[in-house]
Amino acid sequence: MSLPQFQLLFAQTTQEAVELLTKYAGKIRVLAGGTDLIPSMQQKLFEPDYVLDIRRIAEIGGIRELPGSGVEIGALTTLTMIEHSEVLRRRYPVLTEAAATVASPLLRNMGTMGGNICLDTRCLWYNQSLTWRQACGFCIKKDGDLCHVAPGGTKCWAAFSADTPAALLCLNAELEIVGPSGARRVPISDFYTGLGDNYRRLQANELLTRVFLPEASADYRGVYRKLRIRGSIDYPLAGVAVAVKRSNGRCADARVAITAVNPAPVMVKGAREALVGEVIDEALAERIGDLAAKTAKPLTTSALTPEYRREMIRVFTKRSVLAAAQS
Amino acid sequence: MPNDFSIIGKPMAMVDAAEKTTGGGKYADDLSLPGMLVGKILHSPYPHARIKRMDTSRAEKLNGVVAVATGQDAPNPYGILPVGHDEHALAVDKVRYVGDNVACVAAIDEATAEKALRLMEVDYEVLPAYFDPEESMKAQADLIHDNKPNNLEKDYHHVFGDPEKGFAEADHIAEGRFIANEVTHAAMEPHSTLAAFDIDSQSGKPARLTVWSSTQVPYYLQHKLSLVLDMPMAQIRVIKPLVGGGFGGKSEVIPLEIISAITARKARRPVKITYTREEVFWAHRGRPRTIIDLKTGITNQGHITAVKARVIQDGGAYCSYGVVTILYSGALLGALYDIAHIQYDGYRVLTNKPACGAMRGHGTVNVRFAFESQLDELAAKIGMDAVEVRRRNLLKPPTITVNGLRVQSYGLPECIEKVAEASGWKARKGHLPRGRGLGLACSHYVSGAANSIIRSDMPHSTVNIKIDRDGGVVVYTGAAEIGQGSDTMTAQIAAEVLGCSLGRVKIFAADTDLTPIDIGSYSSRVTFMAGNATLRAAQEVKKQIASAAARKMNCSPEDLVFRDDSVRKRDAHLETAVLGGASQPGSGASVAGRVEGQILRGSLQQKRKDEAPKDSMSFEEAVVAAIDFHGALSGTGSYAPPLEARGGKHKGAGVGPSPAYSYSAQAAEVSVDEETGEVAVHKVWAAHDCGRALNPVSVEGQIIGSVWMGMGQALSEEMVWKDGMLMNPGLLEYRSPSSVESPEVEPIIVESVDPEGPFGAKECSEGSLAATIPAIANAIYDAVGIRLHESPFTPERVLAALRTKKAQKKINLTEGIDPTAPAGFREHGGALWFRGKGPKRHPLDPSRREVHEAARGDD
Repeated sequence: MSLPQFQLLFAQTTQEAVELLTKYAGKIRVLAGGTDLIPSMQQKLFEPDYVLDIRRIAEIGGIRELPGSGVEIGALTTLTMIEHSEVLRRRYPVLTEAAATVASPLLRNMGTMGGNICLDTRCLWYNQSLTWRQACGFCIKKDGDLCHVAPGGTKCWAAFSADTPAALLCLNAELEIVGPSGARRVPISDFYTGLGDNYRRLQANELLTRVFLPEASADYRGVYRKLRIRGSIDYPLAGVAVAVKRSNGRCADARVAITAVNPAPVMVKGAREALVGEVIDEALAERIGDLAAKTAKPLTTSALTPEYRREMIRVFTKRSVLAAAQS
Repeated sequence: MPNDFSIIGKPMAMVDAAEKTTGGGKYADDLSLPGMLVGKILHSPYPHARIKRMDTSRAEKLNGVVAVATGQDAPNPYGILPVGHDEHALAVDKVRYVGDNVACVAAIDEATAEKALRLMEVDYEVLPAYFDPEESMKAQADLIHDNKPNNLEKDYHHVFGDPEKGFAEADHIAEGRFIANEVTHAAMEPHSTLAAFDIDSQSGKPARLTVWSSTQVPYYLQHKLSLVLDMPMAQIRVIKPLVGGGFGGKSEVIPLEIISAITARKARRPVKITYTREEVFWAHRGRPRTIIDLKTGITNQGHITAVKARVIQDGGAYCSYGVVTILYSGALLGALYDIAHIQYDGYRVLTNKPACGAMRGHGTVNVRFAFESQLDELAAKIGMDAVEVRRRNLLKPPTITVNGLRVQSYGLPECIEKVAEASGWKARKGHLPRGRGLGLACSHYVSGAANSIIRSDMPHSTVNIKIDRDGGVVVYTGAAEIGQGSDTMTAQIAAEVLGCSLGRVKIFAADTDLTPIDIGSYSSRVTFMAGNATLRAAQEVKKQIASAAARKMNCSPEDLVFRDDSVRKRDAHLETAVLGGASQPGSGASVAGRVEGQILRGSLQQKRKDEAPKDSMSFEEAVVAAIDFHGALSGTGSYAPPLEARGGKHKGAGVGPSPAYSYSAQAAEVSVDEETGEVAVHKVWAAHDCGRALNPVSVEGQIIGSVWMGMGQALSEEMVWKDGMLMNPGLLEYRSPSSVESPEVEPIIVESVDPEGPFGAKECSEGSLAATIPAIANAIYDAVGIRLHESPFTPERVLAALRTKKAQKKINLTEGIDPTAPAGFREHGGALWFRGKGPKRHPLDPSRREVHEAARGDD
């Protein structure tokens, strides 16, 4: 499969990037690691006239400690750098755990923090070649007007399939987004729409530039567990992130988020309330698992059955909560 | 002195290892010719449809497009089996699966060719389609092929011995349905073919055709090209460059191989087609999903009294190797254990899916999974250990089985003992911690089919050897190196016989203009058959050298020993060894100036000086003497399986017989996560009887590779279908194991030294695979007490079985199919058609608007 024809542009600064995005809005895609974009372009899911390579923008790479106010991660920081960062491992372990599970070592060398946050939603009926999609009559996310996963429905249920955003949700991370009118900061929980097709709140002329991990979220015990068939390469079929702070043997604060089973990564409703002030034991962990399973809405977007993925959300949540409490 | 070999039996790097590992080697897709075009194939979007109208004019007019080929350009049907000529390289009237080949565009580059595909206009009349083999067998109308009633490609009904009597003698009978889902080869190299015509100097028309292709069977390809293109075989040259794995997926003629030639002829320029991974999945020819209804009887003493198997294979839309596959499934119920009564009913069924064909362990793997699982069920019933029950059913070779298979060398007993010992079976079986288990299973396979698919008296392999005055040994063999080590094996055998170093041997292989005919690399036949042909060719040359050298040494040819690049009198051998010095064995192929002078200038003076009788000659001296004496020095050898090994007389008896069988026993250690259903394979002990290991490191590689591939089919590999759409046509969603979950494999080589194999060698590439799947299934049973009757053992299936066993709350983990007692195949849970199942599309189906959109896009 060939790449569609496009013109490759380079930006040296964030400002330059935003200018190009504004100029070619709707006809341009951003390239950072390229691990998601390139295969999708070969499948003709995107046929942009322009591709903007942002890898030369030095200002948005790397991990920086902000004394007293947390850590800043540039959008171009590779997942390998996240995985091996000493400060993140020590202070925000849920993020390094999640980053270490993404795809394979080679892909983590290319894939970036920003790219993982912006990762396109995935579905077995969508991530296919043009010929394949044509044969199945296309779908609502691309070129079509029907959904194969929820027939008759008008909503797209493609699953959000990145690992790190579940961890970032647990950490109350904030995203810096730069547009023509300057930079804005949004909590990551506001970044996703919950729709499979129009899945993120990022204007065509905007660029995700930085991630901030607040000081208040530091030093939580963190665990990320991921369902996949192979020990490497695979996207998550279900993912659970848990961050727990303990005090005198009891849970002082906790956050639980799941990914890959809904069109967005989501916090598990009621988990925090159920955990705070309690001694975490198997029964409580199981209850959190039930809450997570209720939050999960897996459909037939993958080869595994939805019921199995929901059940694994339950099991993995229970295990993660226990592991976080005992670590 | 059976082990006194100088070349064979020692671990050797493959002769092509350096070029492959440094990236210098050329595979088909690396090749390029001046003026070469890129071919792209238009595939059918429908599982079953009649082509009503095709308009290629808009595609042809696109700038950069040179030719568009359709079925009318080469309408002759073909197929790998003489009884199965049911394919067209490009459809002439009907398409029969999503992905079937409709037309081909040749353009200056890939992007232009892909763009042209969007401009092709094809009107289809959509026909009812068949996806499930048991449904398909009921078809009365809209048949997939008009001459195949009930969409039945072929059925066989064999009865050997007296099965009813056998079951009556049994103390216990087990009966059950097993399902093995569909898997494919997933070779690293996607298929690729470059085709080029010479232009005839007199007429200016396309004349001779040369095809470079990723094939396991160059001579079959030459034959089918001749058939479809209406050209004499002598006008067609097929060259096999390096091939990046076959596993059966390149063991027949794949559509692109013919399409590239058709298109090149039309375009009058070389055309190369390389499949995308998705196209590889559509070309397929993999292992069919299979239903096995199996019944086995056993006595309380552990003797198998009778076996009855009813096998249904979902063969896809074309015959391919299907008739052979369904016969192998029945035939290889024999030749592993001593079973007196066998009944077999096999059905090869057509469906509107990509064609299945030959895949590593051809036809035997799925039935072996069922058999070895059921044997363990029976052993449990009579309270007998899995090792013991297998010991009690061994053959007593030499023998001919009830279904006519001749068994001579039989290393199975040793395989079982070695595996039991290495795995600590006796001490550990049943004593592992909860959730962890050990399982055992056995398997076997042919060392080449005793009967060629084209019934004739033709030798299956022929090898020519030529040696010139430089002392270089040039071997011409039709055997196709596909990564399995065929060239290395050939070089080793030639070098061993001639007593020369490996570096002296040059291999020319698989080029139909240069090399003598060999039927190809499939059914694990190359070492046995091409190896025997090489052995014979080398012996013929050796005889000529020996007679000339003997004259020089004043002795009889029988007194000569060929070894370490020299020819010595038998008793002189020791003296030289004692004397040591430059003529020490192993000093290699160095050509001393004196000898060089003699070879090149033929110095008479020198010659006379050397003419006095002596005890030893260098290999070059002996060669020169032989050429001076005989003229050209060349030899030829061929191999045809002996008549006694060619099987019985019943219908279908041609498939299954082999000159020799390999044997395998394996133990697998697994653990099962009872909450998630995830299975981890920790270690596999795999003993394989390969007759003699010509290259032990290569044998070990094949054993490990077979176990790994079997583990893929056991745990994670599965082609997922929805109404004829393959849901996972890529290596991301079709999950071959990664290095992370690959277990330690301990290969154990067993050498039974076959009386007819070259130096006693048999096959080692396929026989091990079939044991891995039931070994893992039996280990899962040992670990958590569930007996899975459906492969692969994905976590959802394992968990569903576990929850049923524990009587936990029902959740629909496997969409209604119980993996411990599956009734039929499961389809993917999504919805392909907007209004339920069936061939009618939604009126607003955007694919109907595609033509107009493409038109707009082009403006």
